[in-house]
Order: sequence, then structure tokens, then C-alpha cells
Amino acid sequence: MECYHLAQKAVPDLLEHLKKIAPVYAPHQKGEKSYSFERVTHASEVVLDYNRTMLSLKKFFLPPTERLLQYSIQKQNVVEEEIKPEKRIFFGVHSYDMQAVLRLDHNMIEGHPEPNYILRRQDAIFIGISFEPDDYHFSRSVGIRVEEMEGFDLFLNKVDTNYYLFILNKEGSDLLKGFQKLKAVKDIVRFERNFKNKLKYHYNRIPEVFQHVYHSEVWQKVAERCVGCGTCNLMCPTCYCFDVMDDVALDVKSGERRRQWDGCMLTPFAEVAGGENFRDKYEQRTRHRVYRKFKYITDQEGVPWCVGCGRCTAFCPAGISLTDIVNNLIQDYENQQYAKTGVVA
Amino acid sequence: MKPKVAFFDFTGCEGCQLNKLNFENELLDLLAHVDLVEFREAMDETSDEYDITFVEGSISSPSCVERIHDIRRRSKILVALGACAVNGGINAMKNIQPIEQVRETVYGQDKYRFATLPAMPISAIVAVDYEVRGCPMSQPDFLQLFKALVMGKTPPTYNYAVCVECKLEENECLLTKGQICLGPVTRAGCQAICPGVGQACIGCRGFVEGMNREAMVEILTEKGLSVDEAVKRLQLFNAYEVAV
Ligand code: SF4
Ligand code: SF4
Ligand code: SF4
Ligand code: SF4
Repeated sequence: MECYHLAQKAVPDLLEHLKKIAPVYAPHQKGEKSYSFERVTHASEVVLDYNRTMLSLKKFFLPPTERLLQYSIQKQNVVEEEIKPEKRIFFGVHSYDMQAVLRLDHNMIEGHPEPNYILRRQDAIFIGISFEPDDYHFSRSVGIRVEEMEGFDLFLNKVDTNYYLFILNKEGSDLLKGFQKLKAVKDIVRFERNFKNKLKYHYNRIPEVFQHVYHSEVWQKVAERCVGCGTCNLMCPTCYCFDVMDDVALDVKSGERRRQWDGCMLTPFAEVAGGENFRDKYEQRTRHRVYRKFKYITDQEGVPWCVGCGRCTAFCPAGISLTDIVNNLIQDYENQQYAKTGVVA
Repeated sequence: MKPKVAFFDFTGCEGCQLNKLNFENELLDLLAHVDLVEFREAMDETSDEYDITFVEGSISSPSCVERIHDIRRRSKILVALGACAVNGGINAMKNIQPIEQVRETVYGQDKYRFATLPAMPISAIVAVDYEVRGCPMSQPDFLQLFKALVMGKTPPTYNYAVCVECKLEENECLLTKGQICLGPVTRAGCQAICPGVGQACIGCRGFVEGMNREAMVEILTEKGLSVDEAVKRLQLFNAYEVAV
């Protein structure tokens, strides 16, 4: 693995250089205190020190809403949307968001391949950046270090005010051809970032906890404060559910089929024909959501499906904290174990 | 045969019907599918039975009750149009004031000459088949419903929060910035048009089914409102549902 020094003030030059290769998307300020990935027009507008963007990279590969096909009854035809694969560079991505893309890949490519996702995703290039975890981040507690480089082509690790630039594969080194502002590094100074564990157990033990807390009263307690707005689903980088609907044109003979993000916290999600809803209570929905992140897929794949980005908590209008939920479940589990065995788990 | 369509209005500003006339281009296309028989704002003609009836405004007097029963009897499908018809709307704020004072303010000396009732949505008196929400009712929503009915399909009901549409647009959240936004419990379908331009949602589309009112009040009190003030905010368009 090659490593270079990159001065902070040379980052805009790097962005300009990359823009000549392909469109670059990077964090920008949006609104007063929020961030979002946007296409870079001026390198100076890119924000390198950000806590988290509102939506993750998911929006580029599985857009919030998209047209799937157009149809016409008169012409008796159906025209599917044509998606042209495009090389795009995603710059300034945090490790948990990269890990979320790898998890989405699993959901969208393995088993039942999803062509639109694959076409949008296949030529993406990822350049990572380190970050200082805030109160809401807990990616390290679910096994993702700030400096985790899996999935990236290049990675910028901030040390003091400058960066180590790691070249992780051939795509990464090709990107830097002709870029002059790098200085070779002889010895990489190792350093540890402060780490505050936010989950009471190692993440390996959490699926075991989830075997015992399906009927925990924690779910009811959360439901009392939850308004079911779905923010926690929609902003989660590893939620991928969508709904499909038809929009008919005014001639009522033609129209289009669209899909739009959906989420298991929303009322219509588990509604079936006849009006029956098999998860009509908020406590059932939160439970389902959290089991999807720590148990169901995790049992199959061995890693938590929550990447610890903190979005569901930071943006929840009711201030419901995912780490509190998990820690309360662990507490509940320990109480159960103690009651059964007299031994502290 | 084309379905016979009629429009009627009750207590409201008639903004919803006018909003419908604002379709300009689409209006002619719409009319091609139906036979318009009664529509006070636009034409003058009456007919006895209707396949689809649109009703705007809320019920607020004994004569309204009589009239809506009659309309219901003559309609195969009845659609409530706009906040007043769907949730009682702004009118229902009258329900949370002392009724004597309300009558005096509105009718002065003549207050006993006019019978009055608490303001109610159409569905409080007769069965309503479909709804078009919003103040004024949203045009895209109306078009969706219209097309669905002409095709004999079930129109969308948007039984989820405005926050969903806000997130799809990746708007910065006003509530997390400290503003009083009712998006988390208000029904979507407006494409989060108000938060999209920096205005908090005031709940004009009514609430999601089974909303967690206590939790929403708690969210608002955490933003600095008293419980009373929080409830008042919820009541602006929804005093019929949030009657304390
Ligand atoms: S974001 Fe919060 S209030 Fe909204 S559905 Fe999720 S947990 Fe409930
Ligand atoms: S569950 Fe919450 S913290 Fe975990 S990945 Fe999803 S949004 Fe992020
Ligand atoms: S601004 Fe309002 S509608 Fe939008 S996400 Fe925030 S609370 Fe929901
Ligand atoms: S954002 Fe709220 S107040 Fe604005 S149109 Fe939508 S429902 Fe009505």
C-alpha cells in the first residue's frame, strides 16, 4: 500500500484534478447546519470536516424516487428506463458509509440482482476520509474503525492538519496520474484515535441478546415516544425498501411506473389487501427495524447491518437513541439471565 | 357513458373549488372524461343523480346536515375536498371557543336568528368514500384521485408523515433546528411543499391515522412550547380531531 503526504491546502487542487477525470460528488453544506453529497462545481465549496451528510451515498445508487418504465395502451408497449453506467467519483466518504454501500451491494446484487442499482453502482470510485466521531457516531462499536479502508480506491487520513493519502488499488493510482502535489512518506506515524465504546457488549454478542428480547418491554417504552415518522428508515444507509406505484397520464391510456423509498416504520408498509396490517403498532415496527439491523441479516452475514452512522438518532424528532435501545435490551437480557441462573451475564 | 360529476360547497372559503379552476391546461382534458352536472362556481345547471360528487367545506349548521344527507343519497361516490371537508379545517377552531361568544362575534345582534353547530368534517355526518387533503386541496392530489376514479381504481391515501417527503428531498429539518414543525404527524401528499421553502408544516393535510398525539406534544414541549401551546398548534387545522 503506497502512502503520500497531502497538504490540506492542496486538497482543492486534487479535487480540480479529479474533476477532469469524472464528475466528483462530495459533502457540501446544505441549509444552516446540515450536509449533503452534491456534485462539485467549485472545489472551495467542498466541506472536508463534516459530521454526517443527511442522506448517504444510497441516494446515488437507489434514488429516493425513480421512473422504472413508461407504458402506452394505445401503442401496446412498455419502455423500460435506460440507465447508462457512468463513472462517478465519490470524494470525502466516511468509512461507515462505505461499509453501508458494501452492505447494500449484498442486498441488491446477491440473490436477486437489481439491474438499476448495479448499473448506477458499477463504475463508482470511492475516496474516503477520516473523521472525528461526534456524540452520535458509534461505528467503531459495530466494528468499523474510522480508518477502515475496505471498499475505497483512495483514502485520506487526517493527521494534525494534513493528510496521509493511501493508494489502495490500481483505480486509485490511475486517478493520481499527473497530479504533482504529493510527497512520498517514509515512515507512517501510527496513532490511535480516541474511542468511546457506546454499546455495552461487543457487537459479536448482540445477536445472542436479540434471541431473548423479542418480548422485552423496551419496545413499548420506545413506542410511547415514537411518532412513526419514518425518518430513521429513510435516512438509514442500509435500509433499502421501496414501494412501486403507477402514475397514469390524463388520457388514462398511458403512464409511468415509479418507485419510491419506503420504510417499515410507516403505516402502509405492512398493510395488505383487505386493509389488514400485520405490524400496526409502533412497538412492532421499531422492533422489526432494530432486528433488521442486528439480528435477521446479521445471523446470515456475520456482521451488524447497522454501521453506526448515528443518523437515525441524530435526526429522530423524538430523540430516540438506537444505542440506548440496544443497551436497554442488553440490560433486560442480563436481568433475565440473572433471574434464571443467579449469575451476572 | 361518461360519469356524471357534481360539485357542492359547504362552510369554507371556496378556495378549493377555485383551485380546481386553476388547472387551466389540464381542466379541459379532465372534462373530456366526465359529464359535469352541477358546479356552482363554474356553471348553472342541475341534475338529480351523480356518479361522483365532490364536496368542499365543513358542516356547521343544521341546514348543512340536511343538505349533505340529500347529496349523499343522490351520489354513488362522494369525495371530500380540502381541509374543511376532510378534517373540519380552520372552521373547527370555533369548537374550542365558548359558543355564545362565537355567535356574538359572527352575527352580533342577530345571533339567535341563525342556528349553529360545532364545525365538523363531512365524514362526521355521512359516509365519505375518498378524500383530497390540504388547504387549499392540492392539485396534483386531485388529479391523481380524478384519474383513479375514472379508471375505477383506488386512489392513494398517503397515510404517512410529511417528513417522508421532506427526506426524499433531503431538506434540512426545521424541527431539529428548533422550529415548530408538525411534519412528523401530518399526512404527506403535498411533497413537503412548506418545509421545502423553509416554512414549518402547520398540519393542513390532517394527521396520519392513529397518530401518537402525546409523543408529538412532548416533542413540541421539548422545543419550548407549553403543553397548552403545543395542543393549540395541533388544533389549527385539526381542532375537530384534537378536541382536547
Ligand atoms: S425517527 Fe424517531 S419518531 Fe420517527 S419513526 Fe423513527 S424512532 Fe419513531
Ligand atoms: S440503524 Fe441508525 S446508526 Fe445504524 S446504520 Fe441505520 S441510521 Fe445509521
Ligand atoms: S422539516 Fe418538518 S416535515 Fe421536514 S423532516 Fe423536519 S419535522 Fe419533518
Ligand atoms: S407541509 Fe404541512 S402545512 Fe404545508 S401543505 Fe403540506 S401538510 Fe400543509
